[in-house]
Amino acid sequence: MAQSRPEFPRSERRPNVIGASARPVFNKATFVQDIMELMPQSDLLSRLRKDFKEGDVLLAEKNSNQTLYVILDGSVSQVKEGEDIDAKIGMQGPGDFIGLLSFQSGEPVFTTARASSNVTTLALNHADFEIFLNKYPNISKTLQGLIFSNLADRYRSVVNLHLEVALLTRELEKERNQLKKAIRELERTRNALISQEKMATLGELTAGLAHEINNPASALLRSVDYLSTNLPAMAERASALPDTGLVRYFFEAGMKREYADTAEQRARMKELAAQFPHLNRSRLRVMADMDKEVFDQIKPLAKKEQKQEMLQLLLDAFQSGVFMNGIRLSTSRIEYLVKSLKSYSRKSGKEPEIADVREGLRETLQILGNRLKDIKVTIDFPEIPAVRCFVGEMNQVWTNIIINACDAMSDKGQLFLSCGYEEAEKMIWVKIGDSGPGVPDKIKKRIFDSSFTTKTAGGEFGLGIGLAITLGIIEAHHGNIAINDRDGGGAEFYIALPAYLL
Amino acid sequence: MSDIYIICVEDEPQVLDVVVRDLALLEEVFPIEVANSADEARKLIKELKEEGHKIGLALCDHIMPGDKGVDLLIEMQNDPYTEATRKILLTGQAGLEETIEAVNKAKLNRYIAKPWEPQKLVEVAVDELTSYVIAQEKELLPFMAVLDQERLQEAIRTQGYL
Repeated sequence: MAQSRPEFPRSERRPNVIGASARPVFNKATFVQDIMELMPQSDLLSRLRKDFKEGDVLLAEKNSNQTLYVILDGSVSQVKEGEDIDAKIGMQGPGDFIGLLSFQSGEPVFTTARASSNVTTLALNHADFEIFLNKYPNISKTLQGLIFSNLADRYRSVVNLHLEVALLTRELEKERNQLKKAIRELERTRNALISQEKMATLGELTAGLAHEINNPASALLRSVDYLSTNLPAMAERASALPDTGLVRYFFEAGMKREYADTAEQRARMKELAAQFPHLNRSRLRVMADMDKEVFDQIKPLAKKEQKQEMLQLLLDAFQSGVFMNGIRLSTSRIEYLVKSLKSYSRKSGKEPEIADVREGLRETLQILGNRLKDIKVTIDFPEIPAVRCFVGEMNQVWTNIIINACDAMSDKGQLFLSCGYEEAEKMIWVKIGDSGPGVPDKIKKRIFDSSFTTKTAGGEFGLGIGLAITLGIIEAHHGNIAINDRDGGGAEFYIALPAYLL
Repeated sequence: MSDIYIICVEDEPQVLDVVVRDLALLEEVFPIEVANSADEARKLIKELKEEGHKIGLALCDHIMPGDKGVDLLIEMQNDPYTEATRKILLTGQAGLEETIEAVNKAKLNRYIAKPWEPQKLVEVAVDELTSYVIAQEKELLPFMAVLDQERLQEAIRTQGYL
């Protein structure tokens, strides 16, 4: 993106339209030489000679000036003081004049002149200037000529300066356009990266959700299948009975069945198999699910000498109750998941909403349930004030941080969520800690940088800009985020957001 | 008496209920045992081994608290007792990497996505158990009632020629 502009040699970029005259009519060297030769014999010239040491100021800007300095030896630099920058105007050498403008016009000194080496000058005030003109008419002619060419040079350089300014302006404009383009490009790339990261998070979420929803969906579908074939048959068989109360009793008992530990259930089945060796395992399994009170009701019917129809009918009733309850549980789980998902993925409007961050955190935990199977989540959420935020964006923050914690712990360990309110600062805070390996101090500084990731390439979702996006969102909400060591090991993210107070 | 068991490993009790229900027909010959975690499954496998039974088929969920289904299947593949057991992953979601791992390291025989078609599940279980008994059992006639008769007959004929 940072395209280098083709660089032209400087001389080509600066069309020297108005060049200095190739051969000066009045020669500075000769002029200086003449004066130096005359000086030993001339009282006037000896008196007018004035020497400066390196660093001495000949003329200070803005002062009034009555002296014209003619440099005979050494060099003098001229500096113009700008508002916040000093510009070096140039170096003057033998045969050049210092203070010409202020001397002639009487205006304040325009540029500060400082000796850059030891300097010898001829210092002329107005009276001396007259005397000099009369006494040395020949040299004076040269002097006047030099003054004129000096002024002409100045004019030339002003015109050149104008040209250069025009050129620079054009270059600047070009560069500015290039910069604008680069910034637009960067913006586009940044947005693309952000949406890529969002897609990766989304991919991870949907993969997890697929599992979360497919489980209850399987139970639901299969239970409905079973009931739709079994219930009509059961109803038919029950209708032959004088009293259907027992069928109802077993159906309801099935609905209330508690899910036992599989090992416990296996032990119970073995026990029953010994007790009722003539019953098949399907029947024994249903009976193993019954609590004592229900079992006592069916026990007499399970004996060998009994007809098996009644036993089968009651077992079917119980089993139907179990499946009915399975349907109820599965349905409510799907409903809850869909509800969480809906509110989680709610599109953020143009205006922020007043929201309780604890709700977003709970929903995020729900959505990420799949990643949290082996993670013990400890929640400490006291009452806190609401915040004004974009709910969808905040959920992205929680998701990023929690997924980060899961990754750090390889999906095994503990997650600690807590919140609170800092009354003095009117900020609510959320801490999300994990029992992972923690974050070395060296990495803490860089963890919010984009493209910083400890995850190796390949096989991982995301681009490593999750936390950079997180930081961006928090800052846009006028909050702040930090990563610390958790007491007891692991890392802890600390997020503070301005409370919304009525 | 030595039986050939089907074991189902699944952490969701409601799902476990319906899996067992779908396979109920097979239970006339192949008793079903369940476990709700990899740890429970290990205990179950140890118990069945001690009781002198065999395990013909393992149906396993992937995402469970504790060790994941794929880890358990790999373990079973590396244990001579369960190496011959036919292994099926029955899951709502397993990443590509985990699935590849299961195929390569656990010699996974089938992958069934949740939610499943009941006929399909039974078909797959019958097919896998048929493969198991043909490879492991000398006497195939007792399995005619519930397994793939054609394949069993073919196997019996081949055995006869040997």
